Amino acid sequence: MTALAVSARRRRTRSLPATPRYVAGRLAQAVLALFGVTTIVFFALRLSGDPARLLVPEGATAADIQRVRDQLGLSDSLWHQYVSFLGNAVHGDLGYSYVQNRPATALIAERLPYTANLAVAALILSVVFGVTIGVITALKRGKWQERVLMPIVLIGQAMPAFWTGLLLVLVFSVALRWLPSTGYDGPASLVLPAITLASLSAAAIARVTRGAVLEQLSQDYVRTAKAKGASTTRLVLRHLARNSTIPVLTVAALELANLLGGAVVTEVIFAWPGIGQLTIQSVSARDFPVVQAIVLFASAVYIVVNLLTDLLYGVIDRRVTAGGRGGAA
Amino acid sequence: MNRRRFRAALLLAAALALGAASCGIEPASAGRGSDTITIDTANYPSTLDPGKQYDTDTYSVYRNIFDQLLRRDPKTNAIKGWLATSWHQTDPLTWRFTMRKGVTFSDGSPLTAEDASYSISRILDKKFGSQQYANFSVIDKATADGGDLVVHTSVPSPTLLSYLTTLSVVPKAYVERVGNKQFAVKPIGSGPYVLQSATAGSEVVLTANPKWWGPAPQIRTAVFRAVPNVASRVADLQSRKVDLATTLTPDAADQIRRDPTLQILSTPTERVAYLAYNTIKGGPTNDPRVRKAIAEAIDYNAIIQNLERGYAKPINSMATPLAFGYDKSLPGDRHDPADAKRLLQQANAVGATLVMATSPSFDPQVVQAIQGDLAAVGLRVEIQNSDQATYLKKVQDPSHDWGSIRFGRWSCSCQDSDGVIYPLFHTGEIWSSYSNPDFDKIVEQARETIDPAKRISLYRQAFELLGKDRPGIGLFQAYAVYGANSRLIWTPDASESLFLDQMKVS
Repeated sequence: MTALAVSARRRRTRSLPATPRYVAGRLAQAVLALFGVTTIVFFALRLSGDPARLLVPEGATAADIQRVRDQLGLSDSLWHQYVSFLGNAVHGDLGYSYVQNRPATALIAERLPYTANLAVAALILSVVFGVTIGVITALKRGKWQERVLMPIVLIGQAMPAFWTGLLLVLVFSVALRWLPSTGYDGPASLVLPAITLASLSAAAIARVTRGAVLEQLSQDYVRTAKAKGASTTRLVLRHLARNSTIPVLTVAALELANLLGGAVVTEVIFAWPGIGQLTIQSVSARDFPVVQAIVLFASAVYIVVNLLTDLLYGVIDRRVTAGGRGGAA
Repeated sequence: MNRRRFRAALLLAAALALGAASCGIEPASAGRGSDTITIDTANYPSTLDPGKQYDTDTYSVYRNIFDQLLRRDPKTNAIKGWLATSWHQTDPLTWRFTMRKGVTFSDGSPLTAEDASYSISRILDKKFGSQQYANFSVIDKATADGGDLVVHTSVPSPTLLSYLTTLSVVPKAYVERVGNKQFAVKPIGSGPYVLQSATAGSEVVLTANPKWWGPAPQIRTAVFRAVPNVASRVADLQSRKVDLATTLTPDAADQIRRDPTLQILSTPTERVAYLAYNTIKGGPTNDPRVRKAIAEAIDYNAIIQNLERGYAKPINSMATPLAFGYDKSLPGDRHDPADAKRLLQQANAVGATLVMATSPSFDPQVVQAIQGDLAAVGLRVEIQNSDQATYLKKVQDPSHDWGSIRFGRWSCSCQDSDGVIYPLFHTGEIWSSYSNPDFDKIVEQARETIDPAKRISLYRQAFELLGKDRPGIGLFQAYAVYGANSRLIWTPDASESLFLDQMKVS
């Protein structure tokens, strides 16, 4: 995470003119990246196994499998399949799911609201807790507050989602019966999966926040503000917050992009019908069109979120947009 | 600058809040009444069109919306009439089925032999791309004749009736009107339940069909939920969120047994856990003495008691007692490590290394137990674990370069020896790494013999041959294990179906 913070700081010092030309350039890069990713996934998937074998009943013969292969268009040459995939993709047609016989894009569209809800809830939780803990541990460096909070954050990050998730279910669903264990039955269902996911990202955000605030605390302006008798609250809200935002924003944006791509383990544990579950099902069934569509979607989200973050830097810190003039703060 | 920062923060917060609000998702479950049952299955049904797929979690749902041509008696497993009330053969290749009178689909239109023949024809239609085609490929054509369904097979087929128990009858006029895609989303059938709602990837709600021809089922509403993780299904049972959970592992069953308000429902199925040998390019396993030694090295009872926790039964061949052609007089293999060592010495195979191909779909604990048992008699086993797609590609390849032994579980959904030993051991079949012309001749003849007595004697010969030659060994008969709330009254059946009309709640 420190590496991220450093790269964010570097990015900040780079000249980033937020001109239409800059955005166009970034978009062109994005399209190239998407093309590269889908091409790799297209061929890698086809080397990894035959969906027809997974679709037929147990006693099927080689001829039965060939029949399914023909029907799915998998008997054509790889090159032919690739060209027709690209041709259709340009028109927004990413193919039909082999398993569910429905358009891959429709499947993603159905699952997206669930994943988006969970991602946003988890991000809000992790930003609120992560930033709070990060600021406290920075201000109270070496004091008991840091010694209590940091291990909690580290435990949250160290525990894998399947463990945290099941533990939460055991306590809050099985023992206390306060919250639903799986599925979506209203907002209460969001609580446990969101906490599970947030416990992973909150730690990252807390550590980056702590680092950024510590860096600012050693600056002259902080000493001046303190000398002028600024209260801690004022110091944090008026001075530190602005100057520590960029690294935190970078990490939060990356977390959001990751979360939107689907949180596989958490979605499986909580039977949350989002993109993550769709991903794991499609990969194990070698449902090529759906996997391709998901990869394309997840990469697009990643690229767009990163682009928006870069543009947002300019809004937060004018020096970024002004270009060239910004040195280390 | 301050204002700018404030605006940026506001913007971000607003975007987040908007994101959360705009992604409105509807709570899935309706209120749970006393005649409502909630069921956790591992997967969301891949389709609701019964012509397309035939996997357990998919047919568990749609077989309640549709009636089948024939059914199996849940107690005796005998084939009995359902939509077809009686049937006879007019010649070795032709079957005539009399259809039940007065059956209507839930939209009120009558169900006729025309619908039944259409249901078969669309599975045979290459353009439709049914993944169950292999189960019906013996059928040449199906026609409606004077209110009867007439089925012509390309060769005499003794297993036809078995496979017709899996045939759901769809409404021809409706399917043709709305098209296959729409039908899979909004299916209409003649079965005891109708589709109320489906939330993609999450749950399917069925309600009782008031127009159903059978006795009104006690359960009025059923919610099928997809919960892929077994520990989560257990948690759902323990937190009273669901009444029934399918596909439990033996240790999950132990957990449920400790809860007095829950119960375990289980039944032996036609699924056989087996070890297949590569007898063509298996190295040491090309030698029948090594194959016998391996069979004697395995501690069957330890696997059944310790790993399967008693949710399995010993068997004496590759067929379970549910399969037609099962012969209970066969001796079967017994745990005899001393004799296994002797045989290995004879075959000069002590210390040999065997590659065992497997995939995560097959219990890793059983695979490791076998590895341990074989190590105890002096065979080194190298486990090669690959995911299911890769595993299938490897073991089904005609090159037979997949290793020496593999562990698997087999069910043909036909309760017939033909569906087990033909695909597994007949020369040239994709699963077979064995070749014996005598065996081939017997099973080829058996699959085209209608006379049951003659078929039984053919399978006796086939199993005797397999017992001697051992291209594979049966390890145990697997159980279907369900966890349920104690208010549920239901006896699961060997076909692993969830027929809601057979369930009651107290």
